[in-house]
Amino acid sequence: MASISIRNVSKSYGRTPVLHRLEIDIADGEFVSFLGPSGCGKSTLLFCIAGLEEITVGEIRLGDRAMGRTPPRDRNIALVFQDYALYPHMRVRDNIAFPLLQQSIAAETVRGQVAWAAELLGLETLLDRLPAELSGGQRQRVAVGRAIVRNPAALLMDEPLSNLDASLRVRMRTEIKRLQKELGLTVVFVTHDQEEAMVLSDRIAVLDGGVLQQFAEPMTVYREPANQFVASFIGSPQMNFLPGPMAGGALDDRSLLGVRPHDLVPVHRAPDGVLAVEGTLALVEPAGPVTYLDVALADGSLVKATCADPRGHQPGERLTLAVPRHRVSIFDAASGVRTGALAVATGEDSNDMKAMAHGL
Amino acid sequence: MSTTAPAMTGPAAAPAPALRGRRTERVAGFAYLAVAPTLLVVLLVVGVPLGYSFFLSLNRTNPITKRWIFVGLQNYTALLHSTDLLQALGRTAYFAAFSVIGTTLLGGVFALVLNERFAGRGVLRSIVLVPWAMAPISVGVLWSFLFAGEFGAINGLLNDLGLSALATPWLGNGFRALNLLALVHVWNQAPLTALMLLAGLQSMPASLHKAAMLDGAGPVRRFLSITLPWLKPNLMFISIIATINALMAFDVLWALTRGGPGNATTVLAWLGYLMSFQFFKFGEGAAVLYVLTAISFVLAIFYFVVLGPRRGGAPAPAGTLAGLPGARRVRSMAVLPPFRPRRGWLPPATARAAARIGFWGVTALVLIWSAWPVVALLLMSLMPGADLIRTPATFLPSTLTLHNFIAVLMPDTVAAVNTSVQAQRVPFSLLNSFIVGAVVAVVSVALGTLAGYAFSRNAKARTFQAALWGLLLTRMTPALTLVLPYFIGFRVLGLIDTRLALIISYCSFLLPLSAWMMRSYFEGVPLSLDRAALIDGCSRAKMLWKILLPVARPGVVATAIFCFLASWNEFLFALILTSTPKAQTIPVILAGFLSQAQFYTYGPLFAATVLSIAPPVAVAFLFQRYLVQGALSGAVKG
Repeated sequence: MASISIRNVSKSYGRTPVLHRLEIDIADGEFVSFLGPSGCGKSTLLFCIAGLEEITVGEIRLGDRAMGRTPPRDRNIALVFQDYALYPHMRVRDNIAFPLLQQSIAAETVRGQVAWAAELLGLETLLDRLPAELSGGQRQRVAVGRAIVRNPAALLMDEPLSNLDASLRVRMRTEIKRLQKELGLTVVFVTHDQEEAMVLSDRIAVLDGGVLQQFAEPMTVYREPANQFVASFIGSPQMNFLPGPMAGGALDDRSLLGVRPHDLVPVHRAPDGVLAVEGTLALVEPAGPVTYLDVALADGSLVKATCADPRGHQPGERLTLAVPRHRVSIFDAASGVRTGALAVATGEDSNDMKAMAHGL
Repeated sequence: MSTTAPAMTGPAAAPAPALRGRRTERVAGFAYLAVAPTLLVVLLVVGVPLGYSFFLSLNRTNPITKRWIFVGLQNYTALLHSTDLLQALGRTAYFAAFSVIGTTLLGGVFALVLNERFAGRGVLRSIVLVPWAMAPISVGVLWSFLFAGEFGAINGLLNDLGLSALATPWLGNGFRALNLLALVHVWNQAPLTALMLLAGLQSMPASLHKAAMLDGAGPVRRFLSITLPWLKPNLMFISIIATINALMAFDVLWALTRGGPGNATTVLAWLGYLMSFQFFKFGEGAAVLYVLTAISFVLAIFYFVVLGPRRGGAPAPAGTLAGLPGARRVRSMAVLPPFRPRRGWLPPATARAAARIGFWGVTALVLIWSAWPVVALLLMSLMPGADLIRTPATFLPSTLTLHNFIAVLMPDTVAAVNTSVQAQRVPFSLLNSFIVGAVVAVVSVALGTLAGYAFSRNAKARTFQAALWGLLLTRMTPALTLVLPYFIGFRVLGLIDTRLALIISYCSFLLPLSAWMMRSYFEGVPLSLDRAALIDGCSRAKMLWKILLPVARPGVVATAIFCFLASWNEFLFALILTSTPKAQTIPVILAGFLSQAQFYTYGPLFAATVLSIAPPVAVAFLFQRYLVQGALSGAVKG
């Protein structure tokens, strides 16, 4: 395993820039996700690391080796493709052995290593099947097996779970995490699914339009999004944005307040140290563990709040919503950059929330 | 509307099953109706003539007394003992092997080059298609003058290059003539193979090669381990088609060597033609051609068994998730040798440069191979007549003139005082070709669309599967086997020497093709579209007309182009079924030029040839995309 460092990397197709001055350092054994909407350049960057695409400017280093224009086959990097790219005419056994057979490795070792990978992934009974005879989840595991069998310097995954159904996706997610921890793999994982990225990653790199928006630990990205794009991309339902003056104090129209629906709850009487807004309940959406409330504010805009128990709430009623001030992010309205929070977080965070819940 | 009312009363409504039953019945009924015309035509115009010619092969005729004597299998037993047949069989085998190997190798190179992305790829694709889009008879005319001894363009070029010592009458030597004949056939057929291989290459997911690259496989290893296995099903189809086309090669033979010198290029097809139409031994000729038909069927089955799809294993059983890895772990990871970057013979930059130079070199060769003969033809058509008979021959024209074109397009003008009879027939024959091609295209597309739709939506019904393979079998029937019964049939009907006879014949062998093409196209149209149209209140016919046909338009265009080209280029039927300029098409007129070759008609001949290849060349350039589409759906013009 090795670290990966991406230094000042730019790439363009002709005059169309796709990656812009990226700086990302991935430590040995770290699990990093590239997260962003489709077309943000995350897969392109992955292919650049693999050597399948050439970068226009900058440098990619793998451990202590500068990659330059090293062809993919000499990089010792494994990639799990979105469509798995299993060789359709080879049995599972031959698919997994293929990367080993390209190096001069004794047949005995190859057999042992294939058996090891098969056992690790629970593929023992499937070794003599053709890819066409496997289910989606099995194909996915074969693809992972083929990737890890040769102990690559880094494992890249390009939306590997997107073709699986929901429940299988969650199981495979756990499997991948377990495997990564067990083998100490350096993994770069491309996804557009924020939940996948949050659950799996040590750190998340959020990309948009080929530009790195934020590179931080999952909870940091969630709690302290670097800018409005990250704030609205991460978290579901989307963060509410309120005009700055609503906070009172010194903020004017040049600022925006960002409030996550999960932090915004209805209260009877706003306690101290919270930001309170009033409005009319427009819609109640029960979603199981929580219920979402759509509330129309005085200026006509809608905000989304949550409550644990929807009983007693009727559309049309007046509501006071409250959020702890330290949970309110402040963004510069012009640039979208986060400038801070309404208050510094204190250790009494949980007490605040409790008090608010009691006040309900 | 009334039929839906009960269903709306609730899920327990009784009429529901009956309703469902009736609906499936109606679907099937429509499908049978749609496929019936095609099957009927094929049966009538392929099945019956095949049966008739088999009956012929059991008889012996006396050309003078015109008496028919039933002799059972005697024609066949006699053939088995004749050295003529055995020799022809040997030559056929050699010719076919040469052609199949040649077209596959060359087509493979074409496809690999054309699959790369580079500037000018679209144009090169069109250029590569030209030799195949041309009528084989035009190909024959072209190469016969390239190969010609005294005045030939190849010898002329050799003279120009100062290599006169190498100049020779190319088709003079028997074995060399056979090889050159096969080479010309390869020149004509390789683009078809290339098209089909290209379609296979383009359907290959890009991730396969990327994965193999990352797995450490170099270009050669990837070609052998990924590309070739991927193309295996295509290769099967291509081998069948190439073999059958080689066995049936006739037009090129007619124009180039006519079985000679001596009988050095008398293959089975030519032997059958000679017997039937030169010696008028219909029975023996039919027997020879039946042997040919049998060989092509047997070979097709052989290819299918050897290269055919392996029977897939059981699909993944449900619930195999039980196999998810548990905590138990017996094996540990093997100790792998540390990864060593490969050390090439050349530094990477040099290797890349060499690869580029190599690629452009091959591309240039592909271009010259495909374009030079056609350019030569164009040059010859623009030369003054005297240039064509200079000795020593030279390739460079003294001047360029449109005189030849005027001679064949406007034979009545003053500029064309000394035009030949043949030249005067060119304009009308072009018109004939055009009318026949247009009618054939319209009819085959109309009926083929109906049948193709029915086939695509009933792919699992056994009757339809059988009918589909029946259609494919008709593709493997040599046209030579059919032409004799056609001739006799049309003579009985008094249709000899009419365009109608040509139209009927062409429709008969193009209908299976167009049904097959449209079937593959409709298979790509989602079934939900049918259902949506039906729910929205369309009848079956209206759904096909209003919804599916517009969606399938590219397929319709591709099919129409294929049918038009095939009938425009067809030679054998036109030769046998017409005898006067009334219905003669342009290939027959070209053949007429060749038969009475006189030095002052060379120029008009080349001009007429250029005119004959103009529509196919235009199609290759304008509709290249559709041709690739056609090849994708497995369509094949001979």
